[in-house]
Amino acid sequence: MTEHHEGHQSGYQRLQAQKSLKEILEIATEFERIAHDFYTALVPKVSKQIRYLVEELAAEEQEHFDLFQKLANNPDLEKQVGTLIDTPANDHGFSDCIHLPDLGDHPDDQAVLQYALYREHAAMEQYSALADSTEPGPVQELFRYLAQEETKHKNELEKAYYETVHRGGV
Amino acid sequence: MTDIDYKAKGSILNPLKNLQFLGRRPVTQPLEPRPASANYRGFHLNDWEKCIGCSTCQKVCDNAAITMVRIPDIKEDPVNGIRNLRPAIDYGRCCWCGLCVDICPTGSLSLSREYVHTCTQDEIDSYFVLPDSSGMHGTYGHGWRKTADADLVDLSRHPMAHLEPPQRSDNFDEIMLGFTRQEAILEASRCVQCGMCHDACPTHMDAPEYIRAIWQDDPEEAVRQIYRTNPFPEVCGRVCTHRCETACSIGRRGEPVAIRWLKRYAMDAVAPERVKEIAAESKSDYMTGKRIAIIGAGPAGLTAAFDLIKQGHQVDVYEGLSEAGGMTRWGIPEYRLPAAALARDVDVITSLGVRIHYNRWIGRDIDMATLQLEYDAVLLAIGLGLGRSTRIPGSDHPQVRKAVELLREISQGSVFAVPRSAVVIGGGNVAMDIARSLARLQKREYGTVRITACALEDRAHFLADEIEIIEAIEEGIEVLDARGPQRCEQHADGRLLGLKTWKVDSIFDEQQRFAPRYDNSDERFHEGEMIIEAIGQMSDVSVLGPELTELLEWNRGRLKVDAAGRTNLPWLWAAGDCVNGPDVVHAVADGHRVAASIDAYLNIREDVA
Repeated sequence: MTEHHEGHQSGYQRLQAQKSLKEILEIATEFERIAHDFYTALVPKVSKQIRYLVEELAAEEQEHFDLFQKLANNPDLEKQVGTLIDTPANDHGFSDCIHLPDLGDHPDDQAVLQYALYREHAAMEQYSALADSTEPGPVQELFRYLAQEETKHKNELEKAYYETVHRGGV
Repeated sequence: MTDIDYKAKGSILNPLKNLQFLGRRPVTQPLEPRPASANYRGFHLNDWEKCIGCSTCQKVCDNAAITMVRIPDIKEDPVNGIRNLRPAIDYGRCCWCGLCVDICPTGSLSLSREYVHTCTQDEIDSYFVLPDSSGMHGTYGHGWRKTADADLVDLSRHPMAHLEPPQRSDNFDEIMLGFTRQEAILEASRCVQCGMCHDACPTHMDAPEYIRAIWQDDPEEAVRQIYRTNPFPEVCGRVCTHRCETACSIGRRGEPVAIRWLKRYAMDAVAPERVKEIAAESKSDYMTGKRIAIIGAGPAGLTAAFDLIKQGHQVDVYEGLSEAGGMTRWGIPEYRLPAAALARDVDVITSLGVRIHYNRWIGRDIDMATLQLEYDAVLLAIGLGLGRSTRIPGSDHPQVRKAVELLREISQGSVFAVPRSAVVIGGGNVAMDIARSLARLQKREYGTVRITACALEDRAHFLADEIEIIEAIEEGIEVLDARGPQRCEQHADGRLLGLKTWKVDSIFDEQQRFAPRYDNSDERFHEGEMIIEAIGQMSDVSVLGPELTELLEWNRGRLKVDAAGRTNLPWLWAAGDCVNGPDVVHAVADGHRVAASIDAYLNIREDVA
């Protein structure tokens, strides 16, 4: 399941080896496509009452896919990336410690959210690490931008997680 | 024109009399009226910021001089006790007695020192005034206003006898002991009959009416008024979330009327057999021949059963456990809600003819398809019987338990090894319930309490009732706010050691969504042989089976129902916690709503047939 997503070491290495902004964005876009396909394949496996959640996750990955692809095709890419990282998103921390759940054949809503959170968290950390290990310049800015996008997505997922799991009692 | 006679005209020398004033000092009277005394009862002033539109002024006015006027620009907020009404005064009727000021619960009304208003005939409506803080003409300022001596509102609640911590900390005896007759009458006398409680209550209980009956020393009438809207008065008289008291107008300056405890008094004061007779008073004297199946014998399911049986339908309730009440039976400890009190509510309902089939699980003993075939309508009221887990690392340890399951075991009298130390994750009433239940067991077994409750919320945002937190602390429980669970720590030999937490920096984001932020540099360890998770609950919808689950429509994880509680399938309704979240009185309101919808549906079917 995790073989192709960007939390995996091979994804990190693939990205690290790239030098052109367009190539990096193409790989990031590919990761989003894989995630979208994963969630789309998961839809029929989950019970109908939580299908909305997996469908929303697939739609969000599709949005990221479209966004990255549009950016990659932008002839003014370098300037565009510089503008996009002006307002970085902050990681809030996450208390219900993020770890990869065993999704099994019929995962529940909490497992799906945990999986998605793990994925976003891993991507956020990976892009941040890549930015830290890159010389200042357009490539570093692109990694910062990608880290920021994943952080934003993770923050939204955290809210969905708390609203789903931490509900008050009698 | 006739001439004026001599006597009326006076003497021809009369004008000369005026000459006598020539030597005197002139006296000039100003055109403005003289200032009135400091306590003068002149035209009204009303502070709209304080006024809640409760209409108490209108009710007390013997001259019917006050009309409540709806102000569209003011937002109605019944939950917080605000109506968009403001008093208008008809000065053709007002006698300036000042009772409206003396009774005003908020203190928004006062009288000014202004007493002159004149107008021409075509301005006569100007005597009908909607006063604000400026008064009639904005002059002279305050006159008669509320003082402690003249205040007709009793701001202090009459206390109810209760068990002190040493008397209650090692047992499950009910803490609150109930009002005596005299205490109840005195407490009822505090009510100003404004009805804000009625507006705020999810099931719109006729609280002013039953409080008035108690004040008139007529508890049977109080019970009659209570049963008009709530067949769970013993339960709601003890553990209701009492929205009524939050909205109570007396609570604006003092302690709200103890509406919940008064309901309990009425039930305590009337013999159970008489309660059954009163509850049956409006029962249909014929049977319609229609059959309804209800899944779940909690407050929502049994309220619907109560209404439907009174409408003449046959009602069968299928309950998976051995007793009725749902979460009120298995999730609320006896020191808050004795099982016997709940049983009295259930007895009233079954006395009307509702049949409860115990230990019958849908999906195991009977399936939904059979119910659909055998009944004219089916209601799903399965509650939130499953606990959520944080699923943090280590939370799969066998000594990490879910609160609702452990509470059920304690209520059932199951034997388990009481931990010497425990950590509860959560800050709601369920968290307090399990912490306090375990504390009692610890006290009984070991003579001491070692329990820590950690909540994500800061104290100002705890979900538990304030009294629950206060009593938990009194009973020796350490209640920590703003701590986020991080990891359940265990020893190399497998023993559970406790919980690691991070400090929570904030709870809500800019859009007020629940989104805690943490400071992971502030990490703490809380010792516990057992960790109990009380973070949230969910329904066991697996009873529906995969086929029905596919047929039904869902709304973000919950069954999708219309305003009347009906699902997208014409024969199936859903109500209670599984649709609207956990709250007894909401479940009761839901039960009424779906019962009305089912009854309407069955009547339509009858018409068509």
